[in-house]
Amino acid sequence: MKQNVISRRDFIRLGGLGVGAAAASRMFPPRLARAAYGGKVPLTDDGYIHTLCEMCVWRCGVRAKVVDDRVVKLDGNPDHPHSRGKLCARGQSGLMHAYDPDRVLSPMIRAGKRGEGLFRQVSWEEALDFTAQKMLDIKSRYGPEAMVFSSTHSLSQVQFENLLNGFGSPNYGTQRSLCFNAMVTAFLLTYGVEEPSRNYDDVQYVLLTGRNMMEAISTSETSQLVEAISRGAKLVSLDPRFTKTAAKSTEWIPIRPGTDAAFLLGMIHVIVTNQIGDCDFVKQYVVGCEDLPAAMEEYTPQWAEGITGVPAATIERIAREFAAAGKHALAHPGWRTSNFINSFQTERAIATLDAVTGAVVRQGGCLAAESPEASGITLGKPPQPPYPRISAMRLDGVPWKYPLVPLKLGVFQEMRDAILSGEPYQAHGWFISRQNPVLSLPDRQRTLEAFGKMDFIVTVDAIINDTAWFSDVILPESTYLERFDPLSVVEGKIFLRQPVIEPQGESRSALMIYKELGNRLGLADYFQYEDEVDYIEQQLAPLGLDFESLRYKGYLVPAVEKPETEEIVFNTPTGKIEIYSATLEKAGFSPWPHWEEPPLPKPDTFYLLTGKVGQHTQMGTQNNQLLHKYEDQPRLWMSPAAATARGLVDGDWVEAASEIGKVQVQVLVTKAIRDDCVYLTPGYGHLSKGLTTAFANGVSDSVLHVTYTDPISGGQALSQTFVTVKKA
Amino acid sequence: MATKKKYGFVIDIARCIDCRACLVACSVENSVPMTDTRIWVYTPEIQGEFPDLTRTFIPYNCMHCENPPCVDVCVSRATYKDQENGLVLVDQEACIGCGYCVEACPYDARYLDKERGVVDKCNGCIQRVEVGLQPACVATCLGGSRMFGDLNDPDSEVSQALKNASTVMRLDFEDGKVDTDPNIYYINYAGATDPLVLPDKTLPRPPEYTLSQAGWKKVAVPLMAAAVGGAFLVQAVYFTKQLVQGESEFEE
Repeated sequence: MKQNVISRRDFIRLGGLGVGAAAASRMFPPRLARAAYGGKVPLTDDGYIHTLCEMCVWRCGVRAKVVDDRVVKLDGNPDHPHSRGKLCARGQSGLMHAYDPDRVLSPMIRAGKRGEGLFRQVSWEEALDFTAQKMLDIKSRYGPEAMVFSSTHSLSQVQFENLLNGFGSPNYGTQRSLCFNAMVTAFLLTYGVEEPSRNYDDVQYVLLTGRNMMEAISTSETSQLVEAISRGAKLVSLDPRFTKTAAKSTEWIPIRPGTDAAFLLGMIHVIVTNQIGDCDFVKQYVVGCEDLPAAMEEYTPQWAEGITGVPAATIERIAREFAAAGKHALAHPGWRTSNFINSFQTERAIATLDAVTGAVVRQGGCLAAESPEASGITLGKPPQPPYPRISAMRLDGVPWKYPLVPLKLGVFQEMRDAILSGEPYQAHGWFISRQNPVLSLPDRQRTLEAFGKMDFIVTVDAIINDTAWFSDVILPESTYLERFDPLSVVEGKIFLRQPVIEPQGESRSALMIYKELGNRLGLADYFQYEDEVDYIEQQLAPLGLDFESLRYKGYLVPAVEKPETEEIVFNTPTGKIEIYSATLEKAGFSPWPHWEEPPLPKPDTFYLLTGKVGQHTQMGTQNNQLLHKYEDQPRLWMSPAAATARGLVDGDWVEAASEIGKVQVQVLVTKAIRDDCVYLTPGYGHLSKGLTTAFANGVSDSVLHVTYTDPISGGQALSQTFVTVKKA
Repeated sequence: MATKKKYGFVIDIARCIDCRACLVACSVENSVPMTDTRIWVYTPEIQGEFPDLTRTFIPYNCMHCENPPCVDVCVSRATYKDQENGLVLVDQEACIGCGYCVEACPYDARYLDKERGVVDKCNGCIQRVEVGLQPACVATCLGGSRMFGDLNDPDSEVSQALKNASTVMRLDFEDGKVDTDPNIYYINYAGATDPLVLPDKTLPRPPEYTLSQAGWKKVAVPLMAAAVGGAFLVQAVYFTKQLVQGESEFEE
């Protein structure tokens, strides 16, 4: 009998004195390159490599300064439409992600109990063989659908999807239902595009519905908005918090949480009953044009005042100002719109507002309902056979429970609950790529329980986030500064992500991890590329473009003939903007944008608000030492009146409790929040002791968040959790 | 005759969103230790009563003063004002790490790098400027709040911004004998008539010198005695467009 003897030395207990400290002395430069006065580091163009950022999903262009094989500085690429020469705090900190002393340097297989942090360093061969064998075991015993796959979107997503579709599982978890399902579903149904693009060149009036542009940063768009304000554009912010965006707004309206739709419907009422919109545009392009005034009749500003707490006169004035700005007015579609179960209606109302003023499509208008694929650039791809037929139902209820949720969006929180209930069937394995459902999904306790139902969990990530911490296998991915990815097309340019430094340790690109695993799963036909460069060359082949010339500037502009179309056709069943949606009606929902009252907090409880800060991306960057250096301490925001009523002063430790969990956190007493709300910065409170900086810093709102799903869009209602707060 | 350069910063307060890209960029560009920083975004308390609130973000770093108190107290002559470009710089070969300049700076813009035993501060990213780049903080400023350039050049971005500004303000420190004459100009800052009142301090502050080490007492530092306990005055200057154009202060 072959005996597998493992000496103590082969084990790594993460979070102890061992790995972090050793890694720190080996690979972390406590001082980055010297660049003092005296010109020791002459900066010339020769020292730069052009690539793409991945500190969030905006994917800015990056110029990376490399000295002695180390990346020492990242600057924004002026030629990339998303960076325009600038990078945000996260982008600037990117090299600290690559040089994080907590990087996973080799594949690991769990050697202790789940969550104990005891792992065995193994070879790629062993890790991939073990993973493939576990996945094939599950497939043969329970069917391919018993493996669930989840990943947060990245440039290599197409190959992740090959892995899951080739394997034959319908169960695809994304971050989307925790983020933008409401926005995407509403705009698909109304305009036929996932997300209309914004144009700030001539904008005069911007209405932000909870879109905290100065803190939830998209580099170019944030810059463009500041530019517009400086030019004199009016900015109106609806937000229960006095955010940094509110501070820069011409007018801040601290609306009651969950009532944005009522405010917007009140605006639509004013515009359509007074006929102050763009009537010609509406008649030509909008379905439901004649019946719109009647459908909006009940939503008077007086009615909206009763719901929102905003004076009717203010709603009426803003409606008139918005309409007067015509196509130069922009009601921003938002991004993370997973707030209340009525967030879909909020988004429908935004789409309607932009339609009735002609902001959409009108020459010089602020919104374009053109899909990004309309660039005319068609990249090649490696050949592959069709996917196997999948007959199993999706665990997340799409479409059998959520008929209108697009398949690629899904309902992640529902998938987690189906894993727990075992209905309609029991899942047994979970393949997770660079995603942290332990912190991102509502109700962390339930997510960990769902992990407990799993025979096998494998996670691909660069650091040991909370999900990797509870996994059986960790496959170390190289960071975006160390690898190639499939190409990215933005505004007629083809951009390349390419390595600027060697991968740390044995880390590998997702493209190669998926391929190597795919080969072992018998799916080699879905991964017909030798390596990353071969993949990219196959993408470039139909365009006749050369890889080496792409490497030099990091992008190429292919000559494409974009068909000029006079006629505006929307990608909806009627070819028009569907303010009245027969699709919604057929599915049993209101065909018009309409008001749905979300639940109200009980006396003595607060709305628990969430929302980004400019220094972090979701749950993934809290271990970055440079961002940690400049972050605000995560505390629970509370108004002075609410604090006084509870005998609390700034800095007191409090216990915040929802119906499912409680946390202890320091309170920040601030005028910047309504009396009926508290706010907690998301992404903190990591459980993984493999994260030296992030471990036990702050608390996670996922402990408190109750799972509520919008039946139309499948979006999680993240602000619909109510909490009590008392002195700890 | 070519005019000498006078590098300075102009900061459009209306455009700062406190995103802190500048802070991270500076730390990376200049290898600033994790425990120190060369630049700040100060956030005074939120003003007003709910819901009529206002909030200001004030980017901040070494003022590269015309009359820098730090230079006057430097016993090793390591800190100097560069005659060619006007930047206040530290020759770290010469710095002995006594820390007098740290105490002397009314703006708290210097730190003692404990690891290397020398004082460090904003150097205007001269290593970038010399090759035609903007300082790291300026280059990445999302809102376009931070500007840098030659104040002696009337066509520079900074001079033009000053010319077109609705208000101009400096955090000048004066006590009769000392006038720092700082080279950061804050523009479009509607509410500024007072010192910069922050949750934990007020700037500029009177220079302080702690003569804890007996040996240093013998060193003659002429300004030191005069400056101790000196009163300070914040000079908030509001210029109209005409005034700016007419004032010799900007043209020197």
